[in-house]
Amino acid sequence: MRRRPDLYISYRDETAILKNNTHRVIALIIASALLILGYVADDYWILLLSASIFLTIATWGLNIVSGMAGQISLAHGFFVAVGTYTAAVVGGFSTEFPNKIIGYELDMIIWLPLAGIVAAGVGLIIAPLAVRLKGLNLALVSIGIVYIGSYILSNLKTVTGGAGLGRKTAGYTILGVNFKDGLEIGSLIFTKNQVLYYIGLLVALLLGIGVKNLLRSKIGRAYAAIRDRDIAAEAIGINLARFKASAFALSSFYAGVAGALMFSTIGAVDVERFGLLFSVTFIAIVVIGGVGTVMGPIFGSIFFGLMPGIIKFVIDHSEFIRDSIPLNAAQIERVIFGLFIVGFLMFEPRGLWGVWFRLRNYFKAWPFSY
Amino acid sequence: MNSLIKFENVSLNFGGVNALTEVSFEVPDNSLFAIIGPNGAGKTSIFNCVSGIYRPTTGVVKIFDEDISNIKPDAIANLGVSRTFQNIELFENMTTLDNILIGAHRHIDYGSVSGLIFSKKTRREEEKARQIAEDIIDFLEIEEYRYSYILSLPYGIQKRIELGRALAMKPKILLLDEPAAGMNNEETEDIARFILDIHEELEITVVLIDHDMNMVMDIATEVIVMDFGKKLFDGDPKEAAKDSSVIEAYLGVSD
Repeated sequence: MRRRPDLYISYRDETAILKNNTHRVIALIIASALLILGYVADDYWILLLSASIFLTIATWGLNIVSGMAGQISLAHGFFVAVGTYTAAVVGGFSTEFPNKIIGYELDMIIWLPLAGIVAAGVGLIIAPLAVRLKGLNLALVSIGIVYIGSYILSNLKTVTGGAGLGRKTAGYTILGVNFKDGLEIGSLIFTKNQVLYYIGLLVALLLGIGVKNLLRSKIGRAYAAIRDRDIAAEAIGINLARFKASAFALSSFYAGVAGALMFSTIGAVDVERFGLLFSVTFIAIVVIGGVGTVMGPIFGSIFFGLMPGIIKFVIDHSEFIRDSIPLNAAQIERVIFGLFIVGFLMFEPRGLWGVWFRLRNYFKAWPFSY
Repeated sequence: MNSLIKFENVSLNFGGVNALTEVSFEVPDNSLFAIIGPNGAGKTSIFNCVSGIYRPTTGVVKIFDEDISNIKPDAIANLGVSRTFQNIELFENMTTLDNILIGAHRHIDYGSVSGLIFSKKTRREEEKARQIAEDIIDFLEIEEYRYSYILSLPYGIQKRIELGRALAMKPKILLLDEPAAGMNNEETEDIARFILDIHEELEITVVLIDHDMNMVMDIATEVIVMDFGKKLFDGDPKEAAKDSSVIEAYLGVSD
């Protein structure tokens, strides 16, 4: 048995996340690489890496509702906003000037889960729309939610600070320890952003396992059934209303947790961030990464999160590019991003995950063609 | 309680089209009940009324003596009614195993959060579901297709897998919509054998729609004949073949 890693002798082994020693070794290598990277990378790259992690969490959420359950939602950014502001209110400071803004200065251990739970609650409120509508109609209605949401947020001045002014995000206290000015553990010194990076990694690990669990459980199968053939799903006894609601709630939970962390590296947030474009970004990341998978959102988010850094690096190091392309870094970023969306939809609808899948299978079978 | 499904003067209209007109019949417990008739006779409409996809315009459909007018399709399924579809409605991007596991959905008992953290209970229930699925894979002799994606499988096997998905619900009533459509003689015989096994070994009441008169005459215990939404005949399959109105509907009469 020992030499046949693909031979499973129990159902449990077959559905395990890390199926064999190769998987375990790869996971260990990636984990240690990420841990070391957080310590050695400079602050700019830490910011980009953290952004990738937080985007990954949010995109997993969108992938649950749109990729797994097939309910196209353009309102994902709104749920991210709900998480951001829940965290800001629960964990942030209250100020009197220039506007009255509320904040309860609680610990991260409280505001982080609470951000997810409140967003999930809002998701549950919106879920009945998905029960009545599907496909393109639902997508259009969800655009409406984005607009209504940004209207509400910009008028809730005690929560958001109002449009154009913004507010500070949640505080940096975890388990009673404040890491606003860095953290010293033994001889190791971590900056604020490094601590946030490690917290993000831990949260992403837990939530990533969650997505994987969903995929291998009855819940994930029910979502897929609803996505592919809802009439057959109903005839099997799957309660459409209940599972669509749970998909929205879980998806919003992920969005909320991501939102709570996403702006904490910057420290401030403005309602104008949460427009339609913000929501569309997540759809684009899912498409580029790969729909309905766990790895897809990771690939897509890393691509989207690190691209500014890579473009900056190339521009800084190549005089030729600087002189020949009459665009600045942000413009190049947008062009490349757009090209990738078009390219992937045309040539590899499974996204970066599909590319990885093919590469993996190629090397698995190498030197044979299949 | 002798009748599992009971139609009482059921009519179904779509605008001006009368899909069903005043149809009444009873499916007795432990029968192998066949519904036959030409295309457009309203056979599938009867199934859709049973599984709650259509609601009768007038009349009452009862399952286990319970009026199902206000029961949702998924709740009807959970009463123990499972079905297959005329055009295969499998989840094509999934494996055979996953399709059958989806069929076992109503026997797996845990919530969304439990699925998210994959608790002990989840693990136990998933293993139980797998056991149900494996029993069915064994029963239908589709072991070799366990990990194959549905899209890659031939039509006859897909039909069999859809039957497996319906069986995974462990139903009391199984509705089969043209299980032998588009199959050659050998495949039809296989399906007939499985239907008999389901009826006799698993003791499930089977309601069957089919065009293959030979198969229906061979295996059914009771038959109704439909034509243009009306019931022409109700009774023993052997007598149906002799009934003049049935012959007229199928073959036409010369003037």
